Amino acid sequence: MSALERQTAGWKTAAAAVARHLLLDRHAEFWRGQLDGTFSTTEIRARVVRVIAETADIKTFVLAPNRRWTGHRAGQYTTVDVEIDGVRVRRCYSVSSAPGDALAITVKRVPGGRVSSWLHDHVRVGDVLVLGGAAGDFVLPSPAPAKLLLLSGGSGATPVMSILRDLAARDAVHDVVYVHHARTRADVPFGADLRALAARHPGLRLVLELDDAADSRGGFDEARLRQRVPDLAERATFLCGPPGLMARVEAMYAAAGLADRLTSERFVAAAPVPRVADGDGQIVTVRLGRSGTRFTASSATSLLEQIERAGGRPAHGCRMGICHSCVCRKQSGAVRNLITGAVSDAPDEDIQLCISVPQSDVELSL
Amino acid sequence: VTASRRTLTRAEADAFGRELDALRAEVVADLGQRDADHMRGVMRDVHRLEAAGRLLLHAGVDPLSFTIGTGCLALAKILENMEVGHNVMHGQYDWTKDPQLASHDYEWDHACPGSDWRHTHNYEHHTYTNIVGKDRDVGYGFLRVCEEQGWHPRHLAQPLVALSLAFNFQWGVATHHLHVDEFLAGRMSLAELRTRARPFVAKVRWQLLKDYAVFPALALWNAPRVAAGNWLANTARNLWTFAVIFCGHFPEGVAVFREEDTRDESRGEWYLRQLGGSANIEGGSRFHLMTGHLSHQIEHHLFPDLPASRYPEIAPRVRAICERYGQVYSTGSFGRQLRSVAGRLLRLSLPTRGASATTAAATHVRAAA
Repeated sequence: MSALERQTAGWKTAAAAVARHLLLDRHAEFWRGQLDGTFSTTEIRARVVRVIAETADIKTFVLAPNRRWTGHRAGQYTTVDVEIDGVRVRRCYSVSSAPGDALAITVKRVPGGRVSSWLHDHVRVGDVLVLGGAAGDFVLPSPAPAKLLLLSGGSGATPVMSILRDLAARDAVHDVVYVHHARTRADVPFGADLRALAARHPGLRLVLELDDAADSRGGFDEARLRQRVPDLAERATFLCGPPGLMARVEAMYAAAGLADRLTSERFVAAAPVPRVADGDGQIVTVRLGRSGTRFTASSATSLLEQIERAGGRPAHGCRMGICHSCVCRKQSGAVRNLITGAVSDAPDEDIQLCISVPQSDVELSL
Repeated sequence: VTASRRTLTRAEADAFGRELDALRAEVVADLGQRDADHMRGVMRDVHRLEAAGRLLLHAGVDPLSFTIGTGCLALAKILENMEVGHNVMHGQYDWTKDPQLASHDYEWDHACPGSDWRHTHNYEHHTYTNIVGKDRDVGYGFLRVCEEQGWHPRHLAQPLVALSLAFNFQWGVATHHLHVDEFLAGRMSLAELRTRARPFVAKVRWQLLKDYAVFPALALWNAPRVAAGNWLANTARNLWTFAVIFCGHFPEGVAVFREEDTRDESRGEWYLRQLGGSANIEGGSRFHLMTGHLSHQIEHHLFPDLPASRYPEIAPRVRAICERYGQVYSTGSFGRQLRSVAGRLLRLSLPTRGASATTAAATHVRAAA
């Protein structure tokens, strides 16, 4: 960063601070937002510029994010916030584009999934989505391994596609085998793109395992993988797919003593937090992230009371759920609201400590 | 003037509370897009009104654009303070998980810092509503609004004091958190007062700078006109909020409570106190919006964190429940409530004695306990 750039950045920060204190930042945000729906000084907002139906239940959304998007590494995911009936809901989706290309996320419609269904049914070109930053460790080391095996199933193809596209863009497809598992040929996303990549890069070998193939035994077949990729022990392996496939591949690698060759990406967001039974006296662990305190707690008493008993002094007021003084960020775990009975089990949600009882191990930002 | 309230047993009070809880749950289950859209729509109107007002003040030279500009700005400030700021900071929209509607982050166009307000209002006033000695909104420390506050010769000046509070209401609200009365009585050190006042001083500096330096300076030769318009808009907002808020708690017949009577209050009894300590103002939907739906003070005090635009919808059912339990649902036109408040302030500026309307009402919770 040059001295001039630093100075400009300094002025911008100072101007933003003044604007915030004069309450002008809200006006700036509003009026610039009126002109450009993706403008925001606080959030990553992205306009949908293209929607591609990859298969019957997988769609790719090509996005034009605002300048707050700082890019991703191939294989990472981002969170997507959508508003459904007035409530913001957040899910993680893998980026399927290569860094440097137009940003794209690919979403499989999960049966009964509110957000994926909403994205499939309601999002059109021109709509604006709110993104989190890129995150995740499912990325190739640098330099990229000489011999690579990419293994995926279902929508697990998404981060793998980003990795492949990235390798292709850097002309680094030297010796890559990509094995994808799907029910039928119609369920394979990115089919045309994959064939084009394979045609252009002789170092890429595609293997498709279809459940409806004549010789398929359905799902993952260890012997078959060894037969198709005889040198798999020499290959750095990247795995992403449904839990069944992942468990079997991981077991196979562990048994073969190859666990250190395997990098896995799990779509954890969909898994519900295991909750204790309703009723009194279940024991859970509460962790206060900022102070590092950890204590055992009961699922029958409010978090506020139990934190105080453990020596904490969180901000609070009415102790009956009306004043919202004790609102606090819950980083993980499930809690139940004693007044409404509503359960909050998604990560990073604000809860009222005085009327929330833990329903699982809980981590709070206190 | 006083309608009689039926004294409820604790079991009856609890049943009363359960009915209100059920009503609350019903509204919570129904919250959705229209509530989020409503709040964003009001926020949009505030931005547009403020822009229009400031444009007219800055660019115009004639008295007509001055009047309309000031009016738009006053409307914007009233809506922003009452329907947006007050309600958002109550946590009425926390369920949307929209960071722009988050209670703990919102900062309003008002001299009182949001953090101070959330403490004195959301917590102290809404939890200890109308408990003499605990709810510092009862007379704001210098007005005598009930017999329980002993008479002092200074109360003779009360009508004038109330009038000047009305004109400077945002400053009364903003300094409320500082406990200046404690300091004057020698119960708080200067150092502590200084610490308490830190957010207030910072906020006030920026607010004054905005309305009386930055915006006037931007208008160049029109600076005095802009400063005058800003002052008038702030003052109009002060008068309006004073009127609405005093009508919500201090018309004749609205009860105050003794601390010892409310010690082990149940949820149902808490509801009863909120009801007894509040009064509604009748009016149309635009009027309700302009008061931030504090014209439905009763519903607001029963359900302070439900989106306020829902109060008019549930009011008939709240009233029906109250009537079924023999409770007074105090309501009247704006004019009637204002006259009633003025009468009460005038009456109590003189020494009064004996069991009055307010003391009689104060005992109903205790008798029930």
